[in-house]
Amino acid sequence: MAAAQTLANGTSLRVWSFGGGFNGDRAVPAPVIELIEGQSAAITLNSMMPHSIHPHGLDVNQANDGVPTTSGFVGMAMPMMGNFGRVAGLPSLGSSYTYSFVAPHAGTYMYHCHGDTVLHQEMGMVGTIVVRPADGSTDRVWTGGPQFSREHIWHLHTFDTTWHTQTLSGAGTVRYRPDVFMINGRQSVAATADSATAIRGMADDVVLIRLVNTGYLPAVVSLGGLTFQVIASDGRPLRATPMVTQWQVAAGERYDILLTLTAGTLREAQVDYYNIRGTAVLGSATTMIQAS
Amino acid sequence: MDRRSFLKTGCYGVTLFTTAGLIPPLPRRAVAASLSFAITAEAVVRTLIDGSVLSAWQFTGGVNGAGPGALGAGLVVRSGDIISVALTNVLAQAINVTIPGVLENTPACPPGATQIYQFTAPAAGSYYVCDALPGDIGRAMGLFAPLIVMPADGGNRLNAGGALFDKQYTLVLHEADDRLNAAIVAGQAYAMADYEPNYFFINGLSYPDTSARADTAIAMTVGQTIALRIINPGLIYNPLHFHGYHVQVISRNRSLETAVVDKDTVSMCYCLLPKVACFLCTVIACLRASGLPASTDASTRPGSRTDPWRRTYFHLFGI
Ligand SMILES: [Cu+2]
Ligand SMILES: [Cu+2]
Repeated sequence: MAAAQTLANGTSLRVWSFGGGFNGDRAVPAPVIELIEGQSAAITLNSMMPHSIHPHGLDVNQANDGVPTTSGFVGMAMPMMGNFGRVAGLPSLGSSYTYSFVAPHAGTYMYHCHGDTVLHQEMGMVGTIVVRPADGSTDRVWTGGPQFSREHIWHLHTFDTTWHTQTLSGAGTVRYRPDVFMINGRQSVAATADSATAIRGMADDVVLIRLVNTGYLPAVVSLGGLTFQVIASDGRPLRATPMVTQWQVAAGERYDILLTLTAGTLREAQVDYYNIRGTAVLGSATTMIQAS
Repeated sequence: MDRRSFLKTGCYGVTLFTTAGLIPPLPRRAVAASLSFAITAEAVVRTLIDGSVLSAWQFTGGVNGAGPGALGAGLVVRSGDIISVALTNVLAQAINVTIPGVLENTPACPPGATQIYQFTAPAAGSYYVCDALPGDIGRAMGLFAPLIVMPADGGNRLNAGGALFDKQYTLVLHEADDRLNAAIVAGQAYAMADYEPNYFFINGLSYPDTSARADTAIAMTVGQTIALRIINPGLIYNPLHFHGYHVQVISRNRSLETAVVDKDTVSMCYCLLPKVACFLCTVIACLRASGLPASTDASTRPGSRTDPWRRTYFHLFGI
């Protein structure tokens, strides 16, 4: 549904989102969905406009994967709106559909609309899915995995504001030139002030950060020079867990990283969004890491 | 027989491999062979998925050197083979034949000339041949071809003693910025800083052609292990996302992958870290066919808002 997001320059940007939005106080990203490994999940999408929910990385069967070309869309085709959603000729699942599956592996996933995907995903129809271990515990990424004491999601996304203001469907070639660079829907100053994003803990806290890139650019994450450990990706533990000071997260990828805080830590973490050639940083988002 | 679904059967009646569109030069051999390939660099006009036309360049191979999909050339050899590539250049400017990491700084082939390039086929793995003169323009215009090196014994393993597979596919990713092509064929310069591609291809095809062709629509039976040779001679990174499957990344740029193995999204290129762009990207990934009846795959790409060629899908069919 259409919503608005306030940008750092004070303007209000038209966005599209699912539900009540992330953290209950912003439209983009969409709400975090928490599931438990091995348990049935049911996610209902109600929409008159043509959209879908694709549970990215959960390897669900086709009927529940939300890809309109193979399993239909929720809502009605809108030929009068320039074929909004680009779903002409594809099956409609009606104005309400429940995506059902069993979450197979604990870890970090994402969901997004798969109708006219490049546009709807950019506009903000993106969210994080966290699958908890089978015992429901909230201090490990997977059963037997390393323990953490504090947890953040860093949902990485960019907007090209011209995509949000022009005629939306049936447009000619418009190249993607993002100008808003975010963590959890917040640009730098707001991300630093945002309790869902900025890390404020205590010495010896082991912080899990779930990195989720739903934008289109390769994002390089650094934690102000601090060394962190990469423990999992795309819902699977890594075979070896590198200790690094920066890590690349490509569009659609997820990485789970662990950072141990020490007394007096005060750093600025940064996400650099590279162009698709990897030759230049187009923009960055920063936030704070602090330990008392 | 459709050469693009060519099923190669060895002389012992054993199915060695399917390299869709890439016809292996010979079945099992006892000793390294000397193989010659004749390749022409030429201008072509491609009809794109939206009906528009693109003036491009390509390597065009001979009988044994045809590429997968709409690619003009592709080589399948055995490790240790002595390879001779005779390049005939009918373009208006000098180009060359290089293989990143294997055969570099080679002499130019002037317009109208034929130049021989020789090398010994390296360790089993996935490589590509490309022009490296001048700069990136040749690759942007389409001068590249996959080079698949099988183990010397010709078996269906990714490398000597490595993972066994039942079938293999070669997926060459590239893209085009139609403004660059227009400038180059008009004899003008094009600054690569302005390179913003608006067409995206797998084996030279865009969706839905990719799902109509046997070399990009992956057909498998439950339990089979499928090797995917993903080769990115293009000039942008491409995250390749698999619906319904996690794949196992076997190697990246010919090095075995030991950490980030189990993936549903495979980044091509992976090489921004340390912050040095590298576009020698090849990945070999395997997947085990499950009972999922069919699943689409898409790569999430930035680019133009034209549709549907801004993303190129292919399909996986597990039967
Ligand atoms: Cu949508
Ligand atoms: Cu997906």
